Amino acid sequence: MEANVDNLERRCPRLGGDVNFGYCRSCGEGQSPCPKIFDCWWEYFDVVAFFRACSEEENPGLLGSPDPPKPKVASLMELIHGAKSRLAQASDI
Amino acid sequence: MNNSFVVLKKEEMPTQWYNILAEIKMNPPLGPDGKPVLPEDLAPVFPMNLIEQEVCTDRWIDIPEEVQDVLRIWRPSPLVRATRLEKALDTPAKIYIKDESVSPPGSHKPNTAVAQAYYNKAFGVKKLTTETGAGQWGSALSFACSQFGLECKVYMVRVSFDQKPYRKMMMETWGGRCVPSPSPETLVGREVLARVPETPGTLGIAISEAVEEAVSDTTGKTRYALGSVLNHVMLHQTVIGLEARKQFEKIGEYPDIVIGCAGGGSNFSGLAFPFVYDKINGKDIEIYPVEPKACPTMTRAPFGYDHGDSAKYTPMLPMHSLGHDFVPPPIHAGGLRYHGMAPTVSQLITEGIITPRAVTQLESYAAAVTWAKTQGYIPAPETGHALAAVIEEAKKAKEEGREKVIVASFSGHGLLDLGGYQKYFSGTMTDAFVSDEQIAAVAQILESNPQPDMLRSFQ
Repeated sequence: MEANVDNLERRCPRLGGDVNFGYCRSCGEGQSPCPKIFDCWWEYFDVVAFFRACSEEENPGLLGSPDPPKPKVASLMELIHGAKSRLAQASDI
Repeated sequence: MNNSFVVLKKEEMPTQWYNILAEIKMNPPLGPDGKPVLPEDLAPVFPMNLIEQEVCTDRWIDIPEEVQDVLRIWRPSPLVRATRLEKALDTPAKIYIKDESVSPPGSHKPNTAVAQAYYNKAFGVKKLTTETGAGQWGSALSFACSQFGLECKVYMVRVSFDQKPYRKMMMETWGGRCVPSPSPETLVGREVLARVPETPGTLGIAISEAVEEAVSDTTGKTRYALGSVLNHVMLHQTVIGLEARKQFEKIGEYPDIVIGCAGGGSNFSGLAFPFVYDKINGKDIEIYPVEPKACPTMTRAPFGYDHGDSAKYTPMLPMHSLGHDFVPPPIHAGGLRYHGMAPTVSQLITEGIITPRAVTQLESYAAAVTWAKTQGYIPAPETGHALAAVIEEAKKAKEEGREKVIVASFSGHGLLDLGGYQKYFSGTMTDAFVSDEQIAAVAQILESNPQPDMLRSFQ
C-alpha cells in the first residue's frame, strides 16, 4: 500500500504544481512531513489511518506531541542565525 | 456610468495605504529565545524603512510617489460586475470582482513587490533575493526590481522550476535571475546537493538559500523579500480594497459581503482590511476569508467514550473520536489552525470580525470553470476558492430572495497553472471523504468502551 500511495499525485497549493504523496512525506523541516499533509490529502485517501499504521521512526513527531508551529518572524530569525553560523563555520575552515 | 465595469481615473488611485495595526492589538513577535524581536534582529534581511513599517501603528501611511508611478502601469484595477454569472445562477445578487489579474505578472503580488523594491532601493540596497514556489511571487518581484533598477535573484524550488518553464522565462524577461533550489550557489544548497543530488527541493531549502545570500553579503547591499504573511505586505495590498470602496461609492453601492481567498492572507487582506475598518465603525457587512477544506477530525467522527491520549493515561471522556491514538496535527489545534496565515488575519478571526469559510478542491474548480464559461477569464486555482464562496452566497441570496451585493477578489489568472484544470476534467481529482468503512472501523473499537448518553441541554 505504501508504494502505491507514495505515487499518488495532486497539486501542491504552495508550489502550484503536481507533487506526489512521497514528496509531501519528506518536504517539511528536517525531512519531516509537510505541515499541510493532512489537509491536502484527506480528500484522496485515509491519510490519518496511513500515518497511524506507520512507525514513529518513519514519521518522528507527526503523531506525537508536536511543538506549536513557529510564527513567520521567529522562523526568519532562525534562518538568519542558521545562515550566520554556516558562514562562520565555512570561514573557519 | 456603466455599472458593469467600474474604473477610476489614474489620479483617483489611493495615495495612502490603510494600516490595520491601528485597530487591533497584536502580541509582539517573539524570537527563538522567547524574547520580543527587535528591529535590529531583522536588519540582516530587511531594510530599516520596511522594518519600521512592519511595526508601525499609524492608520494611514503615504504611498511614495515613485511607488504610485509604477502601480499606475495597471492600477487602478477595474471593479467588474459579473452579469453573465448572475444570469447563469439566476440570482438577485449583484456580484462584483476586483480584478487583480490585470497586473503585468497577472496577480495581486506586485502591489507589495513594487513597494518593497522601492524601499530597498531608497535604503541603498542593490540586490533582492527571494524564494518562490509556484513562481507568482518570483515573477512579481522580478518585475518590481526591473522598475527600480535592482538585481533580483529568485530561488525556485526545483520541482516547480522543472514544471513551470514559462514562469522562469517571465522572471528572466524582467531581468531577474531564477535558479533551481537547491543550488550550488549557497552553503546550504551545496550541503543538500551533496547528500541528495537528485532532490526535488523544498520551500524550506529555497528560503534558506535566499536568506543566506542576503546575510552573506557583508557590503549590506543585498536583502531578502517576502511576499506574504508579514504586516507590511498586508499594508501594501490594501490599495485593492481602498480602490474598491471608491468604485462602489461612484456607483452608489456598498457590499453586503466581502470574499477573498486566504493562503498567506495577503490577497484577502488587500481587499478586506478597508472594509474591516468600516465594519469596526458600524457597517453591517460579512467578511469571509476562504481556504481549502481541512481534514475532518470532528464532523463525521463517531461519538463515544475514549481516552484523550495514546498512552491511555487520561480518564475516558465522551468525545468525537478517530481513536485515542490519533493526535491531530498541529494545524488542527485550535487557534493554531491558521498558523500559516498572516497574524493580523488570524487576530481578526479570533476576535470574530471576519469568518473563515472552507471549500473542497472540486467545489473550487467547479466554480472556476463556471466563471470561465460565463465571464470568460480563466481564474488561478486559488481564485477558484473565493469564487466557490461567491456562488454559494449568490445561491443563498436567491433562496432568500434578497438583492445582496457581493464583492470578491479575483487574485490572478490561471493561464500558467492549467495542470489542475487538466486533472479536474480528467476526473482524477476526487473528494474521497473518509469512507464509511473507515469510520465504522473506529466505531467498532469505541463500542467496546462504555457508551455515553446523548444528553441535550436545550430542546
